[in-house]
Amino acid sequence: MNVDASAHRPADPGAAAPAKPKPTPAKPKPSPAKPGAKRPAPRASTARPKPAASGASASAVSAKPAATAATATPRPTAKSTGAKSADAKSTAAKSTAAKSTAAKSTAAKSTAAKSAAAKSTAAKTTAAKSAAAKRAAAKGTAVTGAAAKPKAMSTTTSKAAAVKRAAAASAGADGAEAVGVTAAEAMDAMDATLEPSTSSPIIATSAHDAAHDAAHDSAAQSNAAATPSAGDTTSATLSDASAAVEAEPVEAETVEAETAPTSEPEADAEPEPEPEPEPEPEPEVEAAPAPEPEPTPAADPERPAALTLRGVAKAFGDTKAVAGVDLEVPAGSFYGIVGPNGAGKTTTLSIIAGLLRPDAGTVLVRGIDALAEPEQAKRLMGILPDRLRTFDRLTGRQLLYSFGVLRGMKPAVVESRTEDLARAFDLSDSLHRMVADFSVGMKKKLLLAGAMIHSPRLLVLDEPFESVDPTSSAVILEILGTYVAHGGTVVLSSHGMELVERVCSRVAVIVSGRVLAEGTLDEVRGELTLEERFVELSGGLSDVEGLEWLHTFSD
Amino acid sequence: MVAHVLRLRLALHRGAFRGGRRHAVWQGLAGIVALAAVVAAAWALLSLASAEVDVAQTVIVLAGSAVTLAFAVASLAAGTEDPLDPRRFAPLGLPVGPLTRALTLAAFITVPALMLAVAAIAFVITWAAHDVSPVLGALAALAGLVTSVLLAKICEALSALVLRQRRSRELLGLFVIAIIVVVVPVGVFLASLEWGGRVPPELQGAVDGLAFTPFGAAWAIPGQVAAQSAGVWVSAAVAAVTLAALWFGWRALVRRLLTTIERPDAGRSRSGLGWFGVAPGTPFGAVAARSLIYWWRDGRYLVNIVIIPIAGAVVMVPLLVAGVPATVVALVPVPLMALFLGWLPHNDVAYDSTAIWMHIASGTSGIADRLGRLVPITLLAVPLIAITAPIAIAYNGSWALLPALFGASGCLYLTGLGLSSVFSAVAPYPTARPGDGPFQQPQSTVARGVLVPAVVLIGAIVLSLPALWWGWLTIDVDPGFTHLALWGGLAIGLGALALGVVAGGTLFERLGLEIMEFAEAS
Repeated sequence: MNVDASAHRPADPGAAAPAKPKPTPAKPKPSPAKPGAKRPAPRASTARPKPAASGASASAVSAKPAATAATATPRPTAKSTGAKSADAKSTAAKSTAAKSTAAKSTAAKSTAAKSAAAKSTAAKTTAAKSAAAKRAAAKGTAVTGAAAKPKAMSTTTSKAAAVKRAAAASAGADGAEAVGVTAAEAMDAMDATLEPSTSSPIIATSAHDAAHDAAHDSAAQSNAAATPSAGDTTSATLSDASAAVEAEPVEAETVEAETAPTSEPEADAEPEPEPEPEPEPEPEVEAAPAPEPEPTPAADPERPAALTLRGVAKAFGDTKAVAGVDLEVPAGSFYGIVGPNGAGKTTTLSIIAGLLRPDAGTVLVRGIDALAEPEQAKRLMGILPDRLRTFDRLTGRQLLYSFGVLRGMKPAVVESRTEDLARAFDLSDSLHRMVADFSVGMKKKLLLAGAMIHSPRLLVLDEPFESVDPTSSAVILEILGTYVAHGGTVVLSSHGMELVERVCSRVAVIVSGRVLAEGTLDEVRGELTLEERFVELSGGLSDVEGLEWLHTFSD
Repeated sequence: MVAHVLRLRLALHRGAFRGGRRHAVWQGLAGIVALAAVVAAAWALLSLASAEVDVAQTVIVLAGSAVTLAFAVASLAAGTEDPLDPRRFAPLGLPVGPLTRALTLAAFITVPALMLAVAAIAFVITWAAHDVSPVLGALAALAGLVTSVLLAKICEALSALVLRQRRSRELLGLFVIAIIVVVVPVGVFLASLEWGGRVPPELQGAVDGLAFTPFGAAWAIPGQVAAQSAGVWVSAAVAAVTLAALWFGWRALVRRLLTTIERPDAGRSRSGLGWFGVAPGTPFGAVAARSLIYWWRDGRYLVNIVIIPIAGAVVMVPLLVAGVPATVVALVPVPLMALFLGWLPHNDVAYDSTAIWMHIASGTSGIADRLGRLVPITLLAVPLIAITAPIAIAYNGSWALLPALFGASGCLYLTGLGLSSVFSAVAPYPTARPGDGPFQQPQSTVARGVLVPAVVLIGAIVLSLPALWWGWLTIDVDPGFTHLALWGGLAIGLGALALGVVAGGTLFERLGLEIMEFAEAS
């Protein structure tokens, strides 16, 4: 229901505001035909007291109708400021700002934090809620009502997710916003589910929501089961829902499509976990609890995570280059590691590649312990290290041949692949020259070709685009993109934020040896661009005062 | 068909002079040189007519065996493409028997065969002067000629069959090294002998042995008849069997070449790969090829190589000054050079600097890495020792010491290699970086930098003490110890090498990360 509203009126707090005094009008806005408009309204009102009790969630409850959202808006604004700052501080302290929604959900662990988070997203929430309300009205199925109570939480979550999805689906441009909105929505919905009675009718109103509920229920409930605390559950489910929504706008659409005709079974199916969205939400599930250093839940057994780092630490003398890094790179993802200079990216990647021994922690490559069984792990990886020498006195062709034969490939295969790689990377004319005569960019390309020549499952690339011209960068990106699309995994580190934003599906921000933010690209950057977020996480711009003498031109 | 093939052969000869005036001039000069060589050989042979039978026999058997062997080896080594390669007749669908006969006949019209024919005529005349029936002489000469020609054809076909893909400058270099290793000691040995009109006793046994080998049997027959030795029947039998075997082998080879085709990827040349094309396509081959390229191109390695012979030669001076007899002093440089050559790769890993990441990140087997790094130094050491040892013994005078000298030098060299394999994995120390000048001192010096070289050097000497002791016994006590010194020394050396390579390989795999840390830190 909310999704519809948000779809039609994305993030329009103004619209929500008027809806507040009159819950009903909010509904007719997006779809006057919706008969269930009434229901969201009562739920909104019901939700009102609940949030008051639980805190921020109350405001978020507006997930149902726009009215709820409207009502919630003033309330959150009331206490938002204080809680928000507190929440922000806690978030920063936790250094889990990777995902905006995740951060919010983390904050939501404590009721006050929750409210703060809810408030922060109040504006978006409002619009989302109205959209959701509209959606609910549009569907107007009371099927979910029956299962409302037990599935209240899940439905809320799913509704929030549904809201997001619908929003994403219908308003592609507002995808991010809608996602964020729906995330907040989900959280609010979560809180709202604490009021099953109110929620059920509202939930029942929209088969669409039910569909989303069904879709997300499984994830939500599994999440809920996984996380110990209700708050955690909420946030987990919230983040899960949001993540799931972010990851599958298309799926949302399909789910919606099939929800409409089959609202009855949906309601019944809600509590049963649906395996369909299972694989997608899993990584997000792991991403959600990232703020707390708990061992990430096992990934989907059919597709083990391509790379897992747990508590990896490395100190050089007194300097802690890497201090407790936990990463999970799901298979088939394009993972970017960004961080300021000296943050420990190269050290981390060297540890992954098996070129550096960590002081503590484990590295699992597709489930294989890289420190206990290095040969098996190395066979799966292709490595492009940074600032390490190569055998310069060989020609390019000889170096590629070495790369292939050292991996145990047959010479004929190596030679044919050399030809293909040279053509792809535009090195055909240079292969006969000594590598010492190559430019830096050409050397990078050659080493990248050498890393790929044995077609590994996982590519670990340290600054692959440094000093590479744009044409070659584009070619490399295309090659890597196809590689990832066919199931390969790429983990790269880079300083080029635009590049990372363009291609990476997941990002981790490492500052001073710690992962400050981790998750999908949208989660990490939130409202800002990745560059802004990165600057914000790495401590902002340094103090550039005190250089007045630079302008005195001593000549 | 025979006429066609022969005409083809003549046309090919004519075609050798096409291709521009300069090319024709060079071909003409080569022809003149060949002619001069033939004339000289014939004149030398004819001068033997006045020598004693055993002297003539010795010279002729040695020369004949060498020539026949050269016919075989040159085709393999140089990889010259046979213009009448049987495979070129494959599309014509000719019957195998007649074609084989035609090709063999055509093979006699080549320059080397014609030269040998002229020498064979002189051979017959010489033995006729020693009262050997010319018919017998002619038969023997014919047998020798046909043996040589068939050997050449077979080796050419085999080389085209097996080695075509790997044909490169580097392979030729390897063959040349092998030839040098064999030829130079023999040449030095022969040159050191004192003839004075008689056959040195050392050669008698060699000649008798050669007379029973396929290479020298045909050439030895007239001499054995002249000397009325009973070995003539054995030689005749060997020559006949060799001829038959070669003929049937050649026929079978032609049949195979006519009925099979080249490997499909023979067209893909391993060009541009240099040593990587010659080395086997395994991690060991890749490491070996990369080491070879670096040893011959990188200044840091070249300095080490150059110093060795200089050190070996310089050592002799103080000893001579001190009054040690020259014969003994002559024996000192060779083991010393062998020791230093085995000691050279003890820090090989450090020369790679951080480029070693390629080996560690790809999980290369430790043994492959260790063995590969030993290849370039072995390619240098074996010819060097093979050349200098006979020279030293020639100065010393007692050829019975040669095996002992080989044994002692080999033991020192191999034990040095074994210890180097272990210590380069366990304790690399900072050295000049890639790109630095060879005399650039490393930025950091550690105690390892002094201890490890000393340990390897002294350890090699200690492990080779038995071989050195046996060598000393050979000199001082009894030349009979020479064989013990040779085989015992080689056994100890090979054992130490095997142990060192295995241990070093295991350590390399285990300590890969420590090596990486060292490389990044230095």
